[in-house]
Amino acid sequence: MTWRCKKVENCFAGASTYEYELPVTGQELLAFLEGWEIRENHKFRRPVFSAKQGPLEIKGILAAHVVKVNYPADTWKEEKERLERWLEQIKQIEQKK
Amino acid sequence: MRDYNHPIYMNNAATSWPKAPGVAEAVAEALRAMPGETNRGGVADFDVFSEVRAELAKLMGVDRPSQIALGCNSTWGLNQAIFGYPLEPGDTVLSTTAEHNAVLRPLYLLEQRGIRVVKLPVDEAGRVRTSEWEQALLEHHPKLCILIHASNVTGAVNDVPVLSEAAKSAGADLLLDVSQTLGCIPVRLSEWKVDLAVFTGHKYLLGPQGTGGVYVREGLKLRPHIVGGTGVMSDLKEMPEEMPLRLEAGTGNEPSYHGLLAALRWNREHPLDMESLVRRTRELSKGLEKLGCKVIVPGGLSTPVISFVIPGIPSADAADILTGSYDIVLRTGLHCAPEIMEDIGMKGGTMRLSLSRFTTEEEVEQVLCAVRDILESGL
Repeated sequence: MTWRCKKVENCFAGASTYEYELPVTGQELLAFLEGWEIRENHKFRRPVFSAKQGPLEIKGILAAHVVKVNYPADTWKEEKERLERWLEQIKQIEQKK
Repeated sequence: MRDYNHPIYMNNAATSWPKAPGVAEAVAEALRAMPGETNRGGVADFDVFSEVRAELAKLMGVDRPSQIALGCNSTWGLNQAIFGYPLEPGDTVLSTTAEHNAVLRPLYLLEQRGIRVVKLPVDEAGRVRTSEWEQALLEHHPKLCILIHASNVTGAVNDVPVLSEAAKSAGADLLLDVSQTLGCIPVRLSEWKVDLAVFTGHKYLLGPQGTGGVYVREGLKLRPHIVGGTGVMSDLKEMPEEMPLRLEAGTGNEPSYHGLLAALRWNREHPLDMESLVRRTRELSKGLEKLGCKVIVPGGLSTPVISFVIPGIPSADAADILTGSYDIVLRTGLHCAPEIMEDIGMKGGTMRLSLSRFTTEEEVEQVLCAVRDILESGL
């Protein structure tokens, strides 16, 4: 599993939003999000999900490989590093399979 | 690039899409052809910049195309105008809270340099109140007024003839930002006695990004904010006095200006049907209101822009669903105009849909259906 990330335009005050392209879909990502507060909504043309853990929020389309992460304004750097370390751990687990 | 199935593009107040027919071909052809200055700008060379200036002069209602300097966008023009205008510490600039950051950020810098900046609040539609403008002119004696022609957040068009007349009576010069109106709403700079105006090619002119500039009234001399080569008078240590050379340092974006020229000519040959654009904008606006959205309705003359929020649903979440689940391209947030938000009662920002002449009735209906889905989703 590998991933890539890009800061995206977000015009709201204090926003720090990044998109991550993952080798798994949003639906598949949910399997790794144990302990997160997960919400799915299937009422839209393309169903969506959101996952929250503390100040972190991951959201996206269940069938898509791109997810959006909103980091808190004051601790975005630490939270970003934490999330990306976690993505690296998942990458290693996937590679061992 | 995101994989859209059938995008519904409603972000034309940021960047228009699709472009006018022939624009892409003109840009490609210019890149394939030898540069226009191959013959050092000889009489036989096709000078795309002069052609664009001539078209723009007609469109903006000015007599002398050479008073239009061409650069890369409105921000370039605003920086040239604001930092080039002869202001001294202690002088006052009058502006409004409806301005874009392309105005606000230069103004913050001016304040640091000892210039006094007065920003007038606007009404709930995003429009300047004439009486307050007149009062501010009397009270603060500004040397320069900076005014957005139409708000990029609400679409409300300011009454420029009246506001400009008041500025003239108070002895102030007026810098008008027509980024949101040129190509959509009539602009008559000479008739309105506007001293400086900035414009861009990539919005309602339907031209390429990377085109735009500044008009300077004859007799008004700006200090060049950007200096460099001009291809002529190379022995001078300063920029030449004559316009537009004075403000046009360096090689211009020739391919994009070929695209803009194609767009300007297409626009001239295919006048905008404002009536049907207004009708579609109203349908969408009324439809959103009917669904229970809070919508800014500017009333009067306005551009095809709708700012709205869905009560109880964060705009960022709703916009993500509109784009991700329904391929609707819109803008969300403060729209680079942070100071207007409080005046229009949308402190946290809005979602903004901006239509163009290419927006269809079907697209309007699809947007309303998608918003209805969000409202009924229990999000």
